[in-house]
Amino acid sequence: MHTPASDSSPIARLETVSKYFGIGSTTVPALDRVSLGIRRGEFTAIMGPSGSGKSTLMHIMAGLDSPTEGRAWLGDTDITNLGDTELTLLRRRRIGFVFQSFNLVPTLDVRGNVLLPFQLDGRAPTPDESAWIDLLLTSLGLRDRLGHRPHQLSGGQQQRVAIARALGTRPDLVFADEPTGNLDSRTGREVLALLATAAREYGQSIAMVTHDPIAASSADRVIFLADGRIVDDRARSSAEDISRFMLSMERAA
Amino acid sequence: MSRGNELPRYSSSREHASGILVAALGSTFGVGLLQATGFLTDLFDTGGGGTLQVALASVALVFILLALYVAAIVTANTFGTIVAGRARSIALLRLVGASAHTLRRSVAREGLRVGAVGAAIGAVAGLAISHTALRIGIATGTLPDVAYRAIDPLIVLPVAMVVLTTWLASHVGSRAVLGVSPLQATGAAEEPAPGDENRHVVRLVFAILLVAGGTGMLALGILLGLVSPAGIIVAFFGGIASFSGVVLGARWILPATLRLVGRLFGRSSPVTLAAANAVRYPERSTRTTVGLVIGVTLVTTFAVAMTSYESFLFSEYPDSAGDPSLTITIAVLGGLIGFSAIIAAVGMVNNLSLSVLQRTRELGLLRALGFTSPQVRRMILAESAQMTIAAAGLGVLLGIGYGWAGAQALLGSLAGATLVLPLVPWPLVAMLIVGTAALAWIASIAPSRRATSVSPLTALAAT
Ligand SMILES: Nc1ncnc2c1ncn2[C@@H]1O[C@H](COP(=O)(O)OP(=O)(O)OP(=O)(O)O)[C@@H](O)[C@H]1O
Ligand SMILES: [Mg+2]
Repeated sequence: MHTPASDSSPIARLETVSKYFGIGSTTVPALDRVSLGIRRGEFTAIMGPSGSGKSTLMHIMAGLDSPTEGRAWLGDTDITNLGDTELTLLRRRRIGFVFQSFNLVPTLDVRGNVLLPFQLDGRAPTPDESAWIDLLLTSLGLRDRLGHRPHQLSGGQQQRVAIARALGTRPDLVFADEPTGNLDSRTGREVLALLATAAREYGQSIAMVTHDPIAASSADRVIFLADGRIVDDRARSSAEDISRFMLSMERAA
Repeated sequence: MSRGNELPRYSSSREHASGILVAALGSTFGVGLLQATGFLTDLFDTGGGGTLQVALASVALVFILLALYVAAIVTANTFGTIVAGRARSIALLRLVGASAHTLRRSVAREGLRVGAVGAAIGAVAGLAISHTALRIGIATGTLPDVAYRAIDPLIVLPVAMVVLTTWLASHVGSRAVLGVSPLQATGAAEEPAPGDENRHVVRLVFAILLVAGGTGMLALGILLGLVSPAGIIVAFFGGIASFSGVVLGARWILPATLRLVGRLFGRSSPVTLAAANAVRYPERSTRTTVGLVIGVTLVTTFAVAMTSYESFLFSEYPDSAGDPSLTITIAVLGGLIGFSAIIAAVGMVNNLSLSVLQRTRELGLLRALGFTSPQVRRMILAESAQMTIAAAGLGVLLGIGYGWAGAQALLGSLAGATLVLPLVPWPLVAMLIVGTAALAWIASIAPSRRATSVSPLTALAAT
């Protein structure tokens, strides 16, 4: 599903967004006047120390949370003041999610989980979409697992199911918040390679939070956050460069 | 969207509210009933040496035992639900070295406290209600103003029984603690351990034997009933045995029933998900519904038997039609039986609420992925409707069977050694339909409100 906007316009955008948690003296600024555009068809990595605001940034861009100040757009849609139902429909139709854990509905098998966004929308996938989902399931190695339920799958397999679900509707943008945080490094890399492939080969726009420099090195763009601000925004970089920058950030802190 | 900072936690007072309420209802019922028999003794038994009280109290005890039986089943299942909800923290405690038996004992101790608190509340309520009713009776001139006892010593009986049965029920219900593996603290999938399949097989075999043997005895009782009213005795034990088999085998029978009922609801996404929820966890849906099955079966059995008995009386002794004392007796007995169904309904509402509240994370995930609030509400309502209808439907069918068998075994020989069709008390069926709809709706209120007031993010962060 594509918005009519030209290809150079960002797929998601924040304009001087601030987000405060708590009230009164306990207020924590999780985001501090952040402006950012996620480009169409790119794989964007978001990095930064724990508590720097990465998840908050992603939640606001995805319509899961609303900014205290500033505005957020998804394509041409200003989502800042959308009501609950509009936001829900937007998430359902235009956004895909991969969370760190608990991605799957325990009562549904693999097929049910992958088809969940269609089911929520009350429609069956078109033949074209079915073929795409078949391709995804095959390339993610889930073909012979379709009847299994989440507790019968390994952590890596569960994350792959979540990826298949997130890509299945060909959403405008896929958000992945530390999708490999619960996996060992090899399994984690495999899962990330799949996301990178989706971006490169199918032009899927993806924004992913990660702590892993090697994972971030496969991204087209790397954004660094610290204390709720963007402190660096660079094009594809080597894992060494990314590690070096992270270390320098830690020293500065 | 709402962004409450409050984490969805179920304090043990919320968890135990239902257990306390059920224990209190049981104790109120027992105390009130025995107080009433005491008052009646003061009224009629002038110097009869207490035989009247013994007779009245014995009848009252039958109904109290029935109510407490239902209450115990409901409480055991509530504790099963509570333990399932705590699986993760139990697993964590096991991981750091707590023994399963210690943990189980501590859950059972909670049960003892629940029973004690509930029984005490019920004792006070029962005394208050009985004296209020007495005052009103005297004031309106319905009852003569004689010297009534203040507190009948017999009420210690139901109070003690409530404490004991609740304790016992919590012990039985907490058996699930033993099935929690320390590994569950680490797993990302929230799924109760599959459990010991061998034990399940033994259980299934027992259930089948009980149902088969019990049904055989019922049939024998009906045949005997054609020649002698004593057939009722054989039929009675057949009924007890086969129904125990049904309760024991509920985890196989109820999911099948739920699947059947689920088909009636269509195929929209909230409904499909609700059906999956109801059917995929046989333990969970069985815990939620079995109490109601028992309650409805009891009420229906009684009503069908009474209707058959009445119609038999009317056909044999036309004079008895419209005899007010018969009508009153049936109404009183019906009300006493009905109390068990009320306890079952309360248990069902709480059990369903608890089990939906425990799925906060799952609901958060669905909301994040695009389930609207109305869809979530519809899903919860569909789930609760499906469970209530399945439970009530099964209860009515069983009740019609048992009620008919009982009436046939008792009256078959008197009615000229013929088989008669079961008489279905339609007013009761209508009442059950309305009650079931109300119950489904009531049971869905609290979870719906919770599920739609917590933001998807907060829900996803819940443990
Ligand atoms: N619901 C909330 N209530 C209060 N404070 C919050 C809430 N959510 C986030 N915060 C605070 O906002 C800041 C940013 O949090 P956020 O979760 O975005 O960090 P993060 O970069 O994702 O960290 P991590 O790498 O540990 O996941 C932190 O200081 C956090 O404590
Ligand atoms: Mg985070």
